[in-house]
Amino acid sequence: MSTFDQVITTDEWENTDISLLETLDHVLNRGLVIAGEITISVADIDLIFIGLNVLLSSVETAQEVLRKRHEIL
Amino acid sequence: MTEIAYYVYCIAESAAAAELPADSLPAAIEEDAKLEWISAGALAALVSPVSRETYSEESLVEHLTDATWTAIRAMRHETVLEFVAKQATTIPLRFGTIYLERSGIEQMLSEKSGELKKIIEQLRGREEWGVNIYIDRAALLSSITTVSPILREMVQHAEQASPGQSYLLQKKIEALKSDEARAAVNRIVDQIEEKLREQGDDVRRLRILKVETTEHGELKAKFAFLVKRLGFERFRNEAERLAQEHQAAGVRLELTGPWPVYNFC
Repeated sequence: MSTFDQVITTDEWENTDISLLETLDHVLNRGLVIAGEITISVADIDLIFIGLNVLLSSVETAQEVLRKRHEIL
Repeated sequence: MTEIAYYVYCIAESAAAAELPADSLPAAIEEDAKLEWISAGALAALVSPVSRETYSEESLVEHLTDATWTAIRAMRHETVLEFVAKQATTIPLRFGTIYLERSGIEQMLSEKSGELKKIIEQLRGREEWGVNIYIDRAALLSSITTVSPILREMVQHAEQASPGQSYLLQKKIEALKSDEARAAVNRIVDQIEEKLREQGDDVRRLRILKVETTEHGELKAKFAFLVKRLGFERFRNEAERLAQEHQAAGVRLELTGPWPVYNFC
C-alpha cells in the first residue's frame, strides 16, 4: 500500500481531525495583510492561535464547530 | 440602527467578479449579512457588512479568545475564499481586515492597484497545495542502520569483527542512532522540498506551531507549494514517488488542498 493515500481535498475536510486546525492555521495566520482601519496584527493572531490550538484539542469543541461548518455549507 | 463596518475577504479582477453575482456566493462571516463586491477600476474586493461594535479592535480581540466563535468565522472566511478561488484568480486577505467606509476600500484598490495586479498575474492558473511530512520514530530508528551511510558501514564492520570489537561497535552504533535519525530526517525533508519545488513555481516552509503527534507519527515539516493547475498531476505523482521512496524510513506525506493561495501574496 502506498504511504500516500492521504490526499485531503478541501471538499473532504469534514471527515478529518486535522482539517480544522489546518484551516484555522491558514485563515488566521496567513493571507495578504492590507491595512484596514482595524487589522488584527500578525503577532496578536499568532498568540491567539496557539491558545486555540490547545482549546481545540478538546474533541467536543471541534466536533461542534465541524457540525456547524457542515450546516453553513 | 447598528453602525456597520466592512469585512474584506479577498480581491479579484472586476471582470471575474462580475461573473460571480452576490446571490451565488456562500454565507458571509455573520449570518445575517450578504456578500457584495466593491469595485474600483479593474479590481474588486469581496466584502460583507459587520457590526462596528463587534468588530472593533477591542471587541474582536476579546471574541478571538473564544475558540468556537473564532473557528466558525474562520471557516466561513475559508468557505467564501475557496468558492471564489475555484472560479477566479483570488488574492486572499488575512482574517480580520476591516474597513469602516466603502470609500476606504475603493481608495485602497486604486492606490494599490499596480501591486495587486502584479500579484494576480503571479497567481493566475495556480493553486496552493500543502505538504505535511510525518515521521514514525520507531520505524525510523529501526530502519536507520540501512538509511544512514555511516551506520550501514559500522554494522558491516561489526558483523565481520571479533566478538570483543563487535560489542564495542554495537555500543557505538546504539549511541549514534538518534543523531543519525535526526540527520536522516533533515536530509529527507530537504530532498522532498527540492524535488517538489521542481514541479511547482514556489515554496514556503511553514512554522509548526505545536508538536503534533498523530496516527501518522510526529509532524516534522510543513510546506506550501504554488502549483500550476495544469501541472498538478505531475506534482502529485512526484509526491507519491517520494512517499514510496521514504516509506521504509517511517516517513509519511500528507497532501492537502487546493487552498486559496494564502502563502504566496
